[in-house]
Amino acid sequence: MNRIISKITALLTIVFIAIFSVCTFFGKKKDYSVDENRPLAAAPTIKAGEFYDGRTAEKLDRCMTDHFAGRSSWLVGSTLIQKELSESIVNGVYVSEERLINAEQSSDAEPVASADIFENFAENYDGMVYFAAIPTSAGVYGDVLPSHITGPSESQQISELYEALDGDIRKIDAYNILKMLKDNYIYYRSDTKWTSYGAYCVYKTVIQKLGIIPTAYDKFSIEHVTDNFRGDLYNRTMSKAPRADIMDVFEYREGAEVTSCIVVRRDGINAEGKIFDKSRLETGDMYSMYLGEPVPVMRITTSANTDKKLLVIKDSFADCFVPFLLQHYSEITVLDPSVMSGGMSAYVDPNEYEQTLFLFGIDSLGDRKMLSKIIE
Amino acid sequence: MVYSSLLFIYGFLPVSLLLYYITPKKLREMALLFLSGAFCCLISLYFFIFVVAFAAVNYIFMHLISLSRRNEKVAAVPLAAGIIIDLIAVFAFRTEYFTWLHRMIRAPGSFYPVGISFFALGAIGTLIDVYKGRIKADRNMVRFALYIMFFPRLIMGPLLRYRVFTNILNNRRETLSGMGVGMTVFVKGLAKKVIAADNLYMLYTAAFSTSVKEISALTAWLGAAAYILCLYFVLSGFADMGTGIAYLYGLKFPQSFNYPLLSIRLRYFAARWQSQVTQWLRRYITKPIYSVCRKRWMREAVFVLGWGLFGFWYTVDLNGIIWGVIIGTAVIIESRFLRKKIMNPTGIIYTFLTVIIAGVFLSSDSAGYSVSYLFAMVGGNGAIADTQGFYLFKSYIVLLLVTMYASTDLFRNLMTRSERNRVRTAIMAVSPVLILAVLIVCTALMSYSGSSDMLLMKL
Repeated sequence: MNRIISKITALLTIVFIAIFSVCTFFGKKKDYSVDENRPLAAAPTIKAGEFYDGRTAEKLDRCMTDHFAGRSSWLVGSTLIQKELSESIVNGVYVSEERLINAEQSSDAEPVASADIFENFAENYDGMVYFAAIPTSAGVYGDVLPSHITGPSESQQISELYEALDGDIRKIDAYNILKMLKDNYIYYRSDTKWTSYGAYCVYKTVIQKLGIIPTAYDKFSIEHVTDNFRGDLYNRTMSKAPRADIMDVFEYREGAEVTSCIVVRRDGINAEGKIFDKSRLETGDMYSMYLGEPVPVMRITTSANTDKKLLVIKDSFADCFVPFLLQHYSEITVLDPSVMSGGMSAYVDPNEYEQTLFLFGIDSLGDRKMLSKIIE
Repeated sequence: MVYSSLLFIYGFLPVSLLLYYITPKKLREMALLFLSGAFCCLISLYFFIFVVAFAAVNYIFMHLISLSRRNEKVAAVPLAAGIIIDLIAVFAFRTEYFTWLHRMIRAPGSFYPVGISFFALGAIGTLIDVYKGRIKADRNMVRFALYIMFFPRLIMGPLLRYRVFTNILNNRRETLSGMGVGMTVFVKGLAKKVIAADNLYMLYTAAFSTSVKEISALTAWLGAAAYILCLYFVLSGFADMGTGIAYLYGLKFPQSFNYPLLSIRLRYFAARWQSQVTQWLRRYITKPIYSVCRKRWMREAVFVLGWGLFGFWYTVDLNGIIWGVIIGTAVIIESRFLRKKIMNPTGIIYTFLTVIIAGVFLSSDSAGYSVSYLFAMVGGNGAIADTQGFYLFKSYIVLLLVTMYASTDLFRNLMTRSERNRVRTAIMAVSPVLILAVLIVCTALMSYSGSSDMLLMKL
């Protein structure tokens, strides 16, 4: 009896392992995972030096993991099991019916350590500098989590950074605006970033600081471009516990129109850009519907009846924010240091603009290497 | 590469099994050596060179001892030299005092020869056995190299004496039912690591990341219990995985842990916890000293010393020694003062409490921290429970209770006592499906990062 059972066990498990290993080795390889919105690791080429110190082995491990047969389904299963086993934390993301919240502490430095970069920029700049640090969804909704998970709160990080910044830099308190509105749909349920509505609420304050009257909410016609958006927190967990998100496009039909939109791509080639690139909704990276694929520079000119020019230095948080500004400037240049290959001075001269707006999510303000491109 | 990774289970394992079983029976020991070499190369080429060099040095010293054995004093020289080289190899990587040596042997920056504490003990034991004439120096290079670098025992797998190992090699029998046993043990070990240990580790880090001056008693207890359970599941999980893999190649390795945590006496805990390492310490260190000691208290002191060394082997610092001394002393106290007959539940409770409390020393780097932590465990910070404590309790209590049950021999006893019982038959009948299901669950849990390589301590 025992023998038979053992034989069955052996056959069952070994056949299972063999099937998955054959499928993994000989199955069709993808370069890009739609569900996780990231490129998958390629098979390593063996180089003597890397083989010697173990990097080849690591790459092989990465490659095997990324191309494991049925990876997306395994991830879905993993989240379901992990949630039951312990805290509802999967790969550093808190999973609940309500929303997904990032619970992983970033390994970057505290944002306050980057203050000198902005100071340095402001010193060599003739115009006015405005600064908005935007909390992530964890900063606004993180209080449902116990303190040992969330670490130093984002409101604390933002106020420390603001205190460290010089008085010449005008700071915008986005945190309290958003915190007050937390019962509204201002953050995606499955993403760390804010919704267009969240961006609009902060836009009203920002544009007043910039000396302009904001456009009223009822002037916009709002289009729900998709009700099937799953954001970066979904990419990490594959959890469909909260409902899918809605992406909105706010358009002010009577207002100024975009006359040209030129981008400098990562490879340095100029191309035509789009403010709302709806073709991106068909890809795994739906959020890039706003302003299209990330590019180092985007120059937008409008038919607005003014000669004001604005420089926006930003990360992905600003993607859905920039469209609101178009009404008020004849030219806006948007810079994204995270995809720049070199320093910022190679792309623009900030002194051609009388106003500069920094708009970053607090989670990227600790990334010194990325931010220091601003002053290079 | 660790055993609990997709690359190993779905890449290395099936390929190596295929290669092994198409090799003619006579050449299969060679095949195992080749596969072990490939396994080392999949960690890094440097690791492979390191292990081969380690095996070669020990092989040479073993034969030097054997050649000069007629004169005991002369033979002591290569013995001492061999032991010192092995110990330096261990300390060079487990402490920070040997960076010059790292530069000298051109070790890549993050290089750590995983499992060195195990295979170095094995090598030292073999040298002593040859010196004492218990075994003959083996001329068979393949077997000796295999003893050091056999991949199912390389990463914290079972620690075996050379003669036990060669006996197992001699009795190699590849059968399908043996492979079934192997897969069962392997999946059991994998589950211990991926399901139990990794989640307990989350609880442990959650509790220990709180400042020790603010932590509430409830959180502190949860953290301490999680640590010791996690340690048990990591160590026994890797040992089980190693044993299971060895079975797949027809080699019957013995078990390392015999459900120690919830023993009914402290001395049973001491006898069952990582028994192969404690036996090694007894055989090569404490037993020779015992024979000199005539008085009881002296022998007891040696016993405590042995446990102190065991703790030192775990952490290579003072805290490990304190852990060992506490366990050793507690066992002595138990045997001297405790009445012979006490109720089993009482025994389980005081054993588990002692193990948890001692475990606090194993878990941190400084004795001061551990004392403050113990202080917090008795409510010294003025808080019995706080919201964090309740949150962790609520999230983890099921896991804690289930893993505590799994760390006892209750289930095994249920199975052995109820022979010819319907329950047993039913469980036996579904066990293949159950094992496959556990393998699937573990694969899913590993799918995100591809491996579960948290080791808790570098051994």
